[in-house]
Amino acid sequence: MRFDPRSLLLVACNALLLYVTLLINASLASINLHLILLGPMIVIPALYLNHTSFFLSTLLTGLWVDAAFPTSFGLFTFSFLALGTILFSIRYRFHAERNFHPSLLAHATNLTCILIMTLWHGHAYFSSGAFWIQVSITTLLSHIALLFVAPWLFDLERLLFKICRLETEPEDLPIT
Amino acid sequence: MAKLRLSKYYPLVALGAFFALWWIAPAVFKSFLKVSFTEFQAPAWIASSYIDDLESFWARRSHSKLELINAGQELARQKAFYRLLDERNAALEEEISRLEEILDVPGRREFRYEVARVIRRDLNAWWQQIIIRKGNDYKIPVGSAVIFEGGVVGRIVEVNAFTSRVELISSPSFRMAASFSGDDRPVVYQGEPQSGFGTPSGTVRDAPQDLVATTDSPIQLVSTRLGGTFPPGLKIGKVRWLEPGSTGIFQAGKVELDEALLSLHEVSILIPLNPLDLENNAF
Repeated sequence: MRFDPRSLLLVACNALLLYVTLLINASLASINLHLILLGPMIVIPALYLNHTSFFLSTLLTGLWVDAAFPTSFGLFTFSFLALGTILFSIRYRFHAERNFHPSLLAHATNLTCILIMTLWHGHAYFSSGAFWIQVSITTLLSHIALLFVAPWLFDLERLLFKICRLETEPEDLPIT
Repeated sequence: MAKLRLSKYYPLVALGAFFALWWIAPAVFKSFLKVSFTEFQAPAWIASSYIDDLESFWARRSHSKLELINAGQELARQKAFYRLLDERNAALEEEISRLEEILDVPGRREFRYEVARVIRRDLNAWWQQIIIRKGNDYKIPVGSAVIFEGGVVGRIVEVNAFTSRVELISSPSFRMAASFSGDDRPVVYQGEPQSGFGTPSGTVRDAPQDLVATTDSPIQLVSTRLGGTFPPGLKIGKVRWLEPGSTGIFQAGKVELDEALLSLHEVSILIPLNPLDLENNAF
C-alpha cells in the first residue's frame, strides 16, 4: 500500500496532454475538426503502478478531465476508473515496457471514451446524419493522431521516470 | 492460495466502494470539487491567451513605420465617421425616448457591453462552446447574451472566477425566440448537430405559412426582445428555404449561421442594467 510518486508524475503528464489537445482543438475549430485523445491517460497508470497509486492517479486524471469538459461531473472519473480497473486486472498479459501493447490499449480505451461521450451526450441526436458524420470524422482523426501521440506520451513518461530517478519498471512484469 | 484468489477482486471491490461513496456524496462536495479543479486549470488558459496577445504585439511591432502611419490615417478616418454615427445615434435615441413617452410604451431593457477575449474554442459533435477571459471579476451573470459583429454568439452558461463558458448558438441544446427581419411574429430558433462541413447551421420552427424564402432572396432571422436575454434586431442567420413543419400548420427551415462563429477572437457580453427578477415577478 506504499505511495508511488510516479502517480503524480503521470497525472501531470495527463494534464499536459489534455492542455495540448485542447489548444490544438481551439486552433482546429475554424476548420470544424476536433481531437479526443483520452485513451493514453489511463494506460500507463494501470500497467505500471500498484493499485493504490493507480487509483489515485486515475481518480485525479478523471476529475481533471471532468472539470475541463462540459460533461456531467464524474462521467470521466467513473469511466477512467472502470476502464483502468479492467486494464489493471489483466495487465500481466501486456508488455508495458514497450510501446506496442500500450498503444493498442490506448486506441481501445480512446474508442470506448468516444463511445461513452456519444451515448451520454449524443443520445438525443442519434437520428441526425450530421451528428454521425461529425463523430466519425472526430474518431478517425483522433485515432490517426493517437498513432503518433500515444507512443510519444509513453516515451515521455518513461523518460521522466528516469530523469526523476524513479522506478522505471512496471510493478508486475508480464507472464512469458 | 485463498488469499491470492481474493486479492484478484480487490480492484473491483475498490471500484465498487468508490462508486457507492460517490453516489452518497453530497452535491455540495461534488460542486466544490468541480469548481476547485476548474479554477486550478484556469490560470494555464489565461496565461496562454496573454502569450497570444504578446505574440500579436510583437507581430505588429515588425510592421514598418509607413504601414503604421497608413493604418493610423485609416483609423482616424474611421473614428471621424463613427463620431458622426454616434451623434446621429444619440439624436435617434432621444427621439425614440420622446416617442415612447408620448405613446406610453413600456421601457426597453438596457445593457452594459463587456468586451472579452476568447481563450478556448471547443466545437465538436457533443458540445459547442467557447471560454472567455472574463468571469466573476467583471460581474458577468449567468444567462447573459453574447454577441459579435456578425450577430448572436450564444449565452453564458457558467461563470468562474476569471473565465466564463459560453454555449454557442450552433449548439444543439441552444434555443431562443426569434423573428424574421421585417416581420414581428415570433418563431423558434434551435441549434443542431453540426456535420463538420460548410458553415455552421441551426433550425427555425413555427414560421408562419405566408413567409417565402428562396435561394436568391434569403430572409434574415433576427433576435426579438421576447425572453429578455437578447435585444431585438441582432442577426442570427439566413434562411434560404422554408417547408411545412411536422405539424403542417407552421413552416420550418435551416438557418445558415455566420462562418466567423468558428474562429471568434473577441465577443461582447450584454449585461442587463435592470435584471429581470423572474422569481419575484411570477404569478
